[in-house]
Amino acid sequence: MVEVMDLEWWVITYLTALMIPYVISFFLYTIRMFKGPTLPDRVIAVDALGYDLAAFLTILTILLKSPIMIVCSVVLILWIYSLDIYVAKYLESKELGG
Amino acid sequence: MATLLDWALVIIGQALITIGVFCDLAAAISMLRFPNFYTRLHALTVGSVGGAFVPIVGVAFIAAGSEFLGVYRWFLAGSSLVIAVVELLLAGSGSHAIARATHRAKAAPTQPIIVDKLEEERGG
Amino acid sequence: MDYVDLIFAMMGLSALLSVVATALAIRSKDLLNAVIFSSVQSVAYALIYFLLLAPDIVLVYVAVSVGIYPLILILLIKKVGRYETKQNWEQLKGGDV
Repeated sequence: MVEVMDLEWWVITYLTALMIPYVISFFLYTIRMFKGPTLPDRVIAVDALGYDLAAFLTILTILLKSPIMIVCSVVLILWIYSLDIYVAKYLESKELGG
Repeated sequence: MATLLDWALVIIGQALITIGVFCDLAAAISMLRFPNFYTRLHALTVGSVGGAFVPIVGVAFIAAGSEFLGVYRWFLAGSSLVIAVVELLLAGSGSHAIARATHRAKAAPTQPIIVDKLEEERGG
Repeated sequence: MDYVDLIFAMMGLSALLSVVATALAIRSKDLLNAVIFSSVQSVAYALIYFLLLAPDIVLVYVAVSVGIYPLILILLIKKVGRYETKQNWEQLKGGDV
């Protein structure tokens, strides 16, 4: 097999160039979080921020070359989901008179 | 020494991550421009499934095809698939929970609206 | 551009975000907004600890500060009341307990 270019250099350069749109989208989510006039708007912005940050962390484990760091994104996804459930239970029980 | 199979896996993985980046940017811009809470829910699920499930599957493909990571690349690939399936199940459930609670408690105004059938069915 | 420069820049940006979120959490009168701003500060700190290559600290920090701490605060807010009013402050300062 004739070698065209180095695989390691290609993967690292491509992933480094793809990190910048993720950082821009995190910034846009935080603008909605500071601006949102009601409470559920803020919860939605934190939700989306957490899920996309978890995807970003799995991309970073290839760049940092340390394979144990991938367990941090499962934990982040599960606890951000439970924050949704807490706010939903608070809003719904106030309305039903509990 | 990278074989043809390694190059094919890496190219597929990078294509999936590119789709994910595009979906994530679209979701972030539309989170700012939509006029209502209930329309921003669509931006949330696009960002959750298109912006987080698809790139994690792409990372699994890239990790399976890279020789420079050593023997642990199979651990990365399998773990990424598990994370992707967990994310796919939890994103839809969480967004449904917050939407139902907000509609019942009337915490967000339903303002640029034409008809609300759920409100009529509940007798409001 | 080397990716190490990008990692240091991301650490600085997320530290700046956490300062802004903490300032807003202290000054807000609606107590549920304060809980959500505190969760955003915790997410920013989880990113910083990840970039410093410490996975055990990330696990414990996210579990306590995004999972358990908002639960206890929301249970407390259900008992006490959602808004911080001038009447509560007068009752605290006047010693009228």
